[in-house]
Amino acid sequence: MSRARSLEEFSFTVEETTGDARAGELRVGGNTLETPTMFPVVNFYGGGRKRSMFGGGIHRTVKELAVGHDDVGGVAATEYFDTIITSVSSLTDFGISKDLFDTYRSTQIKEWEMFEPLDGIFFLDSGGFKFLGDGGLEGTNFEVEMDQETVYEIQRDLGGEILVNLDHPIAPDDDHATRIEKAEKTAMNIREFLSLTADFDGGLYLTLHGYNYSMMDEFLEIVTEEVPAPVLREGFDGVALGSLVPKKDDRDALIQAVTDCREVLADWDMRGLPLHVLGIGSRSIPLLVGMGVDSFDSSTYLQNAINGKYQQSLVETTPLDDASFEACDCPVCSSPALVNQMNGNAEYQKDVLGPVAVHNLAVQKRDVAELRECVASGDTERLIQYLEDIFGRDKTMRRYAHRVVNESLGGYF
Amino acid sequence: MLKQPTVNEVNEFLEIASDFEDPLEVIRESLSNAYDAGATEVEIQIRDRENGSDIVIEDDGEGMDERDLSSFFDLGNSRKTDSIGYKGHGTKIFYKSDKIVVNTAHEGTNRRAVMDEPWRKLNDRELPEYEVTESEVPSRSLGTRIRVENFRSGEGFDPSELTYNKIEHYLKWKTIAGSTAHFFGDGHREMNIRVDLDESIDDTQDFLKTNNRLDFPDEQLEPGDGDKPAAEMCKHYPPRELTVEYDGGETTVQVVGMVGGKDARNELPTYGKHSAQFGVWLAKDHIKIERINEALSHDNEFIHFLFIANCQDIELAANRESIRNKASPVFSAIEEEVDFYMSKVAEDPWFDDYLDSRRQGRYERRVDNESGDVTTRREEIHSRDRFEPSNRAEVLLGLQRAAAEYDDLDLSVEDYTPDAEVHAILDRNGNLQNAAVGQTLTELLETETPLETVDVVVCWERGDPTELREWERHGYFDGSIEVDSESNCLIYESDERHEIDLIELASLSEE
Repeated sequence: MSRARSLEEFSFTVEETTGDARAGELRVGGNTLETPTMFPVVNFYGGGRKRSMFGGGIHRTVKELAVGHDDVGGVAATEYFDTIITSVSSLTDFGISKDLFDTYRSTQIKEWEMFEPLDGIFFLDSGGFKFLGDGGLEGTNFEVEMDQETVYEIQRDLGGEILVNLDHPIAPDDDHATRIEKAEKTAMNIREFLSLTADFDGGLYLTLHGYNYSMMDEFLEIVTEEVPAPVLREGFDGVALGSLVPKKDDRDALIQAVTDCREVLADWDMRGLPLHVLGIGSRSIPLLVGMGVDSFDSSTYLQNAINGKYQQSLVETTPLDDASFEACDCPVCSSPALVNQMNGNAEYQKDVLGPVAVHNLAVQKRDVAELRECVASGDTERLIQYLEDIFGRDKTMRRYAHRVVNESLGGYF
Repeated sequence: MLKQPTVNEVNEFLEIASDFEDPLEVIRESLSNAYDAGATEVEIQIRDRENGSDIVIEDDGEGMDERDLSSFFDLGNSRKTDSIGYKGHGTKIFYKSDKIVVNTAHEGTNRRAVMDEPWRKLNDRELPEYEVTESEVPSRSLGTRIRVENFRSGEGFDPSELTYNKIEHYLKWKTIAGSTAHFFGDGHREMNIRVDLDESIDDTQDFLKTNNRLDFPDEQLEPGDGDKPAAEMCKHYPPRELTVEYDGGETTVQVVGMVGGKDARNELPTYGKHSAQFGVWLAKDHIKIERINEALSHDNEFIHFLFIANCQDIELAANRESIRNKASPVFSAIEEEVDFYMSKVAEDPWFDDYLDSRRQGRYERRVDNESGDVTTRREEIHSRDRFEPSNRAEVLLGLQRAAAEYDDLDLSVEDYTPDAEVHAILDRNGNLQNAAVGQTLTELLETETPLETVDVVVCWERGDPTELREWERHGYFDGSIEVDSESNCLIYESDERHEIDLIELASLSEE
């Protein structure tokens, strides 16, 4: 099951640490990016055909802006899409036919001419969370049973460069027996995944599930009954901590899960692997960075736009009606035509909210880059000050920020 | 026509002096004045008198010149700019007396000022006057001596109730004697304070000696031995200067503090309830004024904390007991900054460790208590003749025991819901039966147990037979009730007739 891959194809190096936080460099398939970094969730296939950029309403406008399409006046926000995450399960989100499903699988996303400008790193999640309930992908006139092999085939068809195994995420009210059963199923998938990906050149991330040290340690115990630990370490290039979406608003739980995860990884000799946290973004990002998470993914930029929220920073939004676009220098807000659309002067909502989403993404990316700079400076005080500044006087969030400062950045006293 | 508003001087003096009621407030004012005059020694004597108290305050400060002396008696004419007393209200507290005599030596001149019957005159709507005489003294002679005769305390502030403990507490919590300026270094000058009370007030000690600094108990970061390991724990939070920006300017808050267990806190001169003393204080001139315990979240009991946040942009009410510029932007900004600082303290992992030590202590005390209780319970088991239940669950335990012992009692307890109307469900010979369970049948009746839904009553004993007879005589709610000893059942008849099996465990055990 061991893989031979060159450092050209995948490597991760930690360049600087401040407390537990770390600034690194991730190389995947000739692309290099600085970590910590955020992968925005992009839904490429929204039920449409090639001529309509595969559709998707607001998703379509986001894609148009990502590539600088004529329909958005050639405004290109490509730089914010240097990392992208999408999921196998999202393929049928819009109720497509078998014919369209085959079309979507026929060409790797970056190989479509329309997506040619996108040359960033492409993370393909398995979508295990969605398959738990449905068992597979379901279109208007077809069903596909999802197993590890099928998921991997689709991940390859779509051109993923970082892949995760098909997993069975746990839920907060799962009892012990259910968690064990899920871990055993995931463990079998991991074994198969490593065998299927023997010739894969990109990055492979091992999904890890649990809310505390004991749960994660037990998960790895079960996995290593299927795949010996050295093989696991050799086979995987990174770790993706999952199952935390239901806990996204319980930040104490989130902090415990991430700090315990780092401890487990250290004890399992996997501390050097890049750590990705699946599905947690926006307001929690500064906390994740402080705790030493290297990457994360989020659709908050989209969700906020759909809810009429214009982002001012990672943690602050304002109602779209109150937004002052001139205060922002992102490509979207710098375009009078798009500002006009965001002011509500457009026939379709997607043309109002799509640019807002991309603006939101630009703001998030900008703030993550600033956070990264703080970490890369090696100056803990600077990072602490950043956390204080960004959470300001928000009484709820500052408590979590203090906890991260105390537990991961050396503390105040 | 232009007109100028006028001031009724007598009423103003009366009003200001009336704001002060506690003789201790005289001490507070005097200490601040002595410190401002550069004193290193200050002595205060209080003697109980029939109509009040005589108070003498003596310091070795630089004394008062003519203008200072005028300020002492004048209203609103203080020479201070931003320290306590800048409004010139403080010394007017002395007006509540029969006589004020000030002797002050400054640069070779001694000035003696005497004011007779200030309080009577003010109450007679007359502005009291004072007479000043000057004499030459050697220029090295310095200091001020103020004698106040028959100072009138307000109701409830009887000087005869003063004690050294009460005074020490007051000094450290309310006056410059509890100053935290020394933590911040700049310009702090040590001042020794001696208070001498009349023996008729407190004869437990000759005098009280202290200084003008509040010191925290020694730091002890690790838990102690014994059953209260956190009691002596104490952590100091070093002095910090916080820059506070507000709409209109910038100010500085100097904050210092400690967190500690009860024994550590008791090392401070508390002599009272910790709940009135600990928490987060706002201070001016490093003298604590008012607490803002809201700066600590509800999860953190303020009693563990003693933090003093000093800011010179706090403005005091005339009586010095409260802050008057609470509606200002600067106050909101100060409050917000202190609140933010305290949120860091509350999240300090040491504080978690401290709380863990408290929990550990409580746990160990519970283990100790429980082991004592268990010993008593075991002794009772050894000393008794037979098993006897003392609660409903034990009655069921007795039932299960009886079922194991007697072949003709074929049953098992399948469910026990003590708070429900039907307390338990039994399986008797394969049939489920609703059971009412009690130590006695009479107790079940007294607690108004509904009998309509009950198939069987399980009790240790029937209870007092005369009580049962009374129930039979008067009935149970709107029905009649009867105990049939022959067939061991309880017959309850309201709309319908209910025959309820009666299992009396004590009689089974006797058999």
